[in-house]
Amino acid sequence: MLKLFKEIRKAGNATVQYPFAPLETSPGTRGKPEHDEMHCIACGACAVACPPDAISMQTDLAAGTTTWGINYGRCIFCGRCEEACPVEAIKLSQEFELAVMSKADLEETCAYELARCAACGKYFAPRKEVDYAKRLLAHAGGPEAAEASDSADICLECKRKADAQHAARHYEAEKKGGVR
Amino acid sequence: MISQDMPDRLQFKPSKVELDDKVAEAKASLLKSIKRSVYVYRVDCGGCNGCEIEIFASILPVFDVERFGIKVVPSPRHADVLLYTGAVTRAMLQPARRAYDAAPDPKLVVSYGACGCTGGIFYDNYCVWGGTDKILPVDVYIPGCPPTPAQTVYGFAVALGLLEQKLHETHHVEKPGSQAPILHADIPYKLRVSLERDARLMAGYRYGRDLVDDFMEALSPEDTDVIGSIDALIARQQDPRRAEIYGALKQTLLSRVIG
Repeated sequence: MLKLFKEIRKAGNATVQYPFAPLETSPGTRGKPEHDEMHCIACGACAVACPPDAISMQTDLAAGTTTWGINYGRCIFCGRCEEACPVEAIKLSQEFELAVMSKADLEETCAYELARCAACGKYFAPRKEVDYAKRLLAHAGGPEAAEASDSADICLECKRKADAQHAARHYEAEKKGGVR
Repeated sequence: MISQDMPDRLQFKPSKVELDDKVAEAKASLLKSIKRSVYVYRVDCGGCNGCEIEIFASILPVFDVERFGIKVVPSPRHADVLLYTGAVTRAMLQPARRAYDAAPDPKLVVSYGACGCTGGIFYDNYCVWGGTDKILPVDVYIPGCPPTPAQTVYGFAVALGLLEQKLHETHHVEKPGSQAPILHADIPYKLRVSLERDARLMAGYRYGRDLVDDFMEALSPEDTDVIGSIDALIARQQDPRRAEIYGALKQTLLSRVIG
């Protein structure tokens, strides 16, 4: 009997002190995805990547906003949002204490304003995304980037129209034997 | 998911059990003065068994919920807490209700796991009605896929009123005119892209980014020599795999800059 008690004492206590003491988490722990409002450009890559559709983008054309939203109740903590994010705006934190009494508390949203197309005036992309793309192109440098930066404020439809008009002008000029 | 234009009368909507005032009052007083162990009955409404394994893991010595008097019982007639795991499927709708009816009042209902909370990854499945809250009055939601034993312990502490919940509903609006910073803007764009690509090719998306972030941070200091700082980074690594990847990234850097 005494031998058994000695054995038990040697083995020690395996039980963790949580919740009376904070739990030690390892660096790979996949906890609550933390959204960084400042870094986020509302591109929606995370919403596309999210397997259970916990992350959503809701566009409200009347108000001119697009709203990023996450439902922690649906999140499966896979980290695909973190992989997909081009600007490191969402990261899985070590936070695991997510239990709530009401379902509404599992929701988090952040609204971003939309930018209008410089040609037709319709909303076409989040303002922050357009702004980020332009600054990134300026950072990349070169004539191609400068050309792309010029048409960054225009929506896809107007860009197509401009391309078609450009091609038509080019064709006319070629027919006359001007260019090339 | 059933399309939005489907008329309501053609859709089956499970009816939800509503608490009457007397039961709600008894429940509130139970929570206020609970001075005994709580018995938990676990109902699997159509989950993948991951949650069950985690519930089992929380009974094991490491988290040992039995030290708080939380005990898993084999019959709902003994239960104070009903633990619903898995999305509510068509086949398990009635058994889930029967388990609820069999448990004596006052009882707590805990929705366990992502599927229990909202239907999780199966939310738009043809035979899934959604989370537990579609059929029963739920007291506590424990998200996670599956919730770890620590999350389970925390969830029970919230359910029994021992700890406050940390998460609250938040709605932000971006600050007008805010700009997203360009990461590692001091490194030439093309070099940065090729480093990121190589790192992700070698270590995968998630860890590739972590590694390349550390690497580019070592690149940034302009005052000392860059190669020296990278060599120091490689020498610091305990893990030979990381050292190898940093070595390969250094080669990329040299081929871009000097070659």
